[in-house]
Amino acid sequence: MLTQQLVNGIVVGSVYALIALGYTLVYGILQLINFAHGEIYMMGAYVGIAVLGVLAAMGLTQQSLALSILLVFLVPMVYCAAYGVTLERVAYRPLRQAPRLSPLISAIGMSIFLQNYVQVAQGARDKAFPNLLSLGSFEVMGAHVSGLQVFILAAALAMMAGLQLFIHRTRLGRAMRATAQDRTMAALVGVDVNRVIAVTFAIGSVLAAVAGVMVGMYYGLVNHYIGFVAGIKAFTAAVLGGIGNVTGALVGGFLLALLESFWAGYVSAVYKDVFAFLVLVVVLIFRPEGILGGSTEVDRA
Amino acid sequence: MRKWTLSLFAVSVALLFAASSPRAAETIKIGVAGPLTGDQAAFGEMLKNGSLLAAEEWNAKGGVVLRGKKVKVELLWGDDRHDPREGVSIAHKFVNSGVVGVVGHFNSSVSIPASTVYSEAGVVQITPASTNPKLTEQGFMTVFRACGRDDQQGEVAAEFIKNKLKAKNVAILHDKTTYGQGLADETRRFLGRLGIKPVFYSGIVQGDKDFTPVLTAAKQKNPEVVFFGGIHPEAILLVKQMRERLGMNAAFISGDGVYVDEFFKIAGKAAEGSYITFTPDQAKIQAAQGVIAKHRERFGKEVGAYTIYSYVAASLILQSIQETNSTAGARLSAHLRSKAWNTALGKIQFNAKGDVLESPYVVWQVKGGRFVQLN
Repeated sequence: MLTQQLVNGIVVGSVYALIALGYTLVYGILQLINFAHGEIYMMGAYVGIAVLGVLAAMGLTQQSLALSILLVFLVPMVYCAAYGVTLERVAYRPLRQAPRLSPLISAIGMSIFLQNYVQVAQGARDKAFPNLLSLGSFEVMGAHVSGLQVFILAAALAMMAGLQLFIHRTRLGRAMRATAQDRTMAALVGVDVNRVIAVTFAIGSVLAAVAGVMVGMYYGLVNHYIGFVAGIKAFTAAVLGGIGNVTGALVGGFLLALLESFWAGYVSAVYKDVFAFLVLVVVLIFRPEGILGGSTEVDRA
Repeated sequence: MRKWTLSLFAVSVALLFAASSPRAAETIKIGVAGPLTGDQAAFGEMLKNGSLLAAEEWNAKGGVVLRGKKVKVELLWGDDRHDPREGVSIAHKFVNSGVVGVVGHFNSSVSIPASTVYSEAGVVQITPASTNPKLTEQGFMTVFRACGRDDQQGEVAAEFIKNKLKAKNVAILHDKTTYGQGLADETRRFLGRLGIKPVFYSGIVQGDKDFTPVLTAAKQKNPEVVFFGGIHPEAILLVKQMRERLGMNAAFISGDGVYVDEFFKIAGKAAEGSYITFTPDQAKIQAAQGVIAKHRERFGKEVGAYTIYSYVAASLILQSIQETNSTAGARLSAHLRSKAWNTALGKIQFNAKGDVLESPYVVWQVKGGRFVQLN
């Protein structure tokens, strides 16, 4: 039971962590909570369904599974990145000099808009996510692990590793870190701040798109308000780990999911969310900056 | 100043006429409420289409004969999104817009609080689908239920588990709603009478997506049967996660809230072999054939679990209006109780509480991607 709950928690945790990264990246650079981020994730799942539909109609899912999987992830990534950048351009950039509350309201407005837009465009019903991968399952130390779970964890870890490399090893990553430290100063030394911010939104959205497609595959069911709950949970994870801190988002995501999983398994499934938020409150009382928050300026981004 | 008062008077007189003049060419307003959007929209659509068929049928005849004149039927839609608060505000809206009767709501947790509003306003309410016993136990004259009750349904489920599945270890899950928990508790009560004490009992959160933690805990007790009191969105995820994530092969059994095509369409292979308690096959009812054919022609698909129930609920309200020649709630509710009705579901008679006298439940199974009635 212990290992099984561990497996349950880790898979959900990798999804939380991927979404939490988007919150934390944007916060690190703009000190803005992008409440529409959950909706980007939801749209990722919908685009995944659309791509699968097209691929199945073309018969490609039968011919080349590897190519299909690549496209099912790649197209939502590109699509969501475009949405993320547009979101920033339309809803946040004009308000960059405004009081902090204005972009926040704008973010909530965008969230409601996107949710309703998808509801109108895609219908209010649950949508089935076609089964693409049947990887079978195996037993490890009394726990039932499916191939899909391994795939999800591997994909999530790969994305996270890729992000770390990008932030620490590339020119653009360095520009991101510089912008996070001091936007004005970075602009003065020649960093194109607007471009860096756009890239940040694109990266966050790409991660959310991957999470959306993975969740669609995992649960087989998507609707237009999955973004709300997932967004709140991921935001909690980001705050728990220390918002603005990339490693913190990962720690927070996995920690939150594991706590939920163990609490629901051993104590009460009904009070799962109550417990999750109780932990958040307790952590914030003793460490208002989150578990890893405010540790090093360099790691912010 | 005098001029001002005079014009105010003139405006108010004009408003008075404006308010009263449409009354001459008025319609009979029937409210239809249920989860028209959201994860349970499949059920909302059944309520909508069933009532629509009934209303169109009457309007094709020119309307309902009231005080010697033919009056058209107008349906008002209320989307409660299976939220009790939303349901109550829709009930107030319906009452304020002068509905004569209400078809709805779908979920017991919504129907019960809304029924207080309808009862106070003297508006007849026939729910096609809310099965929680409490609805008709409140002593409201205006409340009617076209479907069965969960104490009947739970008994059938319990007997099936004991006698057909011969199970001893039963895990019970519910979604904490009035309907879900009510059905789970009724089943647990009847299982207790048969000498079976569930090895696992837990609530889950409606709208949640991951139930593997609670299922893992249930799996520890080696259940042969998992009973779920709730609606299809959660049932789909539960059965998928049981089969695909945890490799559980316990039989899955649930109630009428899962009797909807989405269940096996989305859950796919995982849903195969699941059991559902529901009423006997409506396609075999002679009187229902007309509605089934009309529905196919009008909407291009087959009727759902509660389409005909909604059709019957709407028809009964309209028929009693014509027969009593009145739109007064008290007269309509007395008339509805007064006799046996010939409906598309066969003969229906309401008792003093507003429940139908007979509503049998049988067990269905998902076989080859459709529901099959078991004998």
